Amino acid sequence: MTLLEVNDLSIRYAVDDGSAVHASDDVNFSVEPGETYGLVGESGCGKTTLAKSLVHLLDDNGYIEDGEVWFETTLPQWADENGDPKQSVIDDPDKPVRADGKTDLAQLNSKQIRDIRWRDIAIIPQSAMNALNPVYKVGDQIVEAILRHEPETTAEEAHERARDLLERVGIEPDRADDYAHQFSGGMKQRAVIAMAMACGPDLLIADEPTTALDVIIQDRILEELEALQEEFGVSILVISHDISVMAEICDRMAVMYGGKVMESGRTEEIFDATANPYTLGLKNSFPTITSKDQDLVSIPGTPPTLRDPDEGCRFRERCPFAVEECHAAHPPMYDVATADAEGRAVESTDRRAHTTACYRIDELEQIRTDAINESTWTDQTIESR
Amino acid sequence: MTRISGKYLAKRIVVSYLTLLVIMSLLFVLLRSMPGSFITSMISSGMTNEQIQQIRETWGLNEPLWRQYIDFMINYQTGNFGRSPTYNAPVADLMIRRMPRTLVLFGATFLIGFIIGPLVGMYLGWWRGSKKDKSIFSTSLLLYSMPSFWISWLFIWVFNYELGWLPSAYMFTQFPEFQWTAFTVMRDVLYHIALPIMSLTFIGWVGSMLIMRPTMNQVTDEGYVFLAHAKGLSERTVMIKHAARNALIPVATGAVVGLAFLIDGSIIIENVFNWPGMGQIIVTSVLNRDFPVAQATFFLLAVLVVIMRLVTDVVYTYLDPRIKFGEGE
Repeated sequence: MTLLEVNDLSIRYAVDDGSAVHASDDVNFSVEPGETYGLVGESGCGKTTLAKSLVHLLDDNGYIEDGEVWFETTLPQWADENGDPKQSVIDDPDKPVRADGKTDLAQLNSKQIRDIRWRDIAIIPQSAMNALNPVYKVGDQIVEAILRHEPETTAEEAHERARDLLERVGIEPDRADDYAHQFSGGMKQRAVIAMAMACGPDLLIADEPTTALDVIIQDRILEELEALQEEFGVSILVISHDISVMAEICDRMAVMYGGKVMESGRTEEIFDATANPYTLGLKNSFPTITSKDQDLVSIPGTPPTLRDPDEGCRFRERCPFAVEECHAAHPPMYDVATADAEGRAVESTDRRAHTTACYRIDELEQIRTDAINESTWTDQTIESR
Repeated sequence: MTRISGKYLAKRIVVSYLTLLVIMSLLFVLLRSMPGSFITSMISSGMTNEQIQQIRETWGLNEPLWRQYIDFMINYQTGNFGRSPTYNAPVADLMIRRMPRTLVLFGATFLIGFIIGPLVGMYLGWWRGSKKDKSIFSTSLLLYSMPSFWISWLFIWVFNYELGWLPSAYMFTQFPEFQWTAFTVMRDVLYHIALPIMSLTFIGWVGSMLIMRPTMNQVTDEGYVFLAHAKGLSERTVMIKHAARNALIPVATGAVVGLAFLIDGSIIIENVFNWPGMGQIIVTSVLNRDFPVAQATFFLLAVLVVIMRLVTDVVYTYLDPRIKFGEGE
């Protein structure tokens, strides 16, 4: 049973001159219960936008253009005593609820989505250090979240739970009465994690959870997330540009570029049987601990602006393997296993499979070999845009 | 919870006291550097030299200046503000009568301005760039650039002359046909104070709005406002409890500055409306060279500002828990 199913999700940012930034285009992915799913890509590839859009937390000019976000939940007013949606709600064509009990979050209005936020999907924002309000006690901010979604809870119970949550992430419960400025950076991060778990969400979105932290704290935070996952069975959607962090914690992941998913699959598949030129380039630019004297090769050029983008593969301008075909349309997802075994390009819609968006999947071996050579990347002339 | 230590508070009070001593000295020097002497008005053409000498003697003007200064400083600190030559009454009595009238006018304007201003600023800052924001903001700037006396005349013309709804001067009805009871006094004062307050607050709220609006807009980009949204809190709760609460901190600083401007404004307004408060007497006493009264009014207004400064410092510690005075210094 899938927890989150995202179908053909396209997100736009309106620009004053009437054009639109295609921050995410026809994105498909799904997250299973208890799984850690990664969205990886460089800054501006649309990964954060994609995650925020699930609970409508985009900036004012951002909007969902098209697509569905099916999530295993329902609104309080649509639920029966078991928490499942009532049959009458499922039968009502005006309510975005499916027979399997999932609700399409993309169709909820701004009032409805506020009931989903935090109770079902909690976010640890990119700037978790600044996410605590300086004028309220840390404990009270956790209590606020609990009382918002569980109004039947008494204030004392909520306070008790806030203290427990803080203790759970390794903060002394008495520190609940402290203010954010009395916390260290790592403590603030952990307090936000504690807050995120306050209502027992099914999905935790961790946006660059380790970016501003030193490696020791990074490691502790990652351990913390894994421990919480084990204890509460929460699914985690991690967003990061750091593929080494992703390799460590993700079960499955999607590599994004220019608002498109370039490659998706299980983490080992993506790292061991990389099947997309962009992922290959990304791997080249990160050091690995096993290869000595490794030269880091960066991908030349800059990411596209995504403002009313042209047809064609989003990566073609920086791709040393681009051919004529790549200019016509962005490639569909091809099955990697078939390509590896039979050298054939077969389209795939299976979200569980290892898939890649590249027309030259039938020449996969050649591409992998060439991608390791630095000259492949540095010798190409970047098409002017 | 107190976040301000007694020791720090004591220190601040001492500093405030020293500030007042400096202000008193300045007042003494400034008023005595004005051309002429305050007994000029008491001297008429037919007086003999002896009579003039006697007047000088009575008002202590024959003493050397340093002696006068020391007497002045001692008298002021013991609450003895001297006698007014023009009113021929103890200055302290005059002040006690007039201070509350000004405080009522000040206080009401200050309160109304600092409720409306931050509220409007909160909405405009939250919806910055919207049509409503643009129109209200430009209108308020227009108001802000209008002189208060001009607004007062405009209000007098409309509400007094044209509509005849409100009185244009004084604090009480001059020849009342009703009995003076607590209720009728209240009603009468409210009736008379309405127009001055309207004129002052009509533009008075803009100052605090101008501080609130950009800070409000800044805090909407803060991580904690995003998190408050992510927690599923309603737009209203996020705006008021999380954003506005933080944006209020700089407004408290603005309040002190605003108070000084308000005093300016009330001096003008009191004269326009013939409001028998400190603002009115400050002008007449300077014109009449009534030094004892002028000194005392300037001094008391200074005391008001110094006290307000002290109050804001304490209010700060409650507004912002990061500010802590007097600990770990």
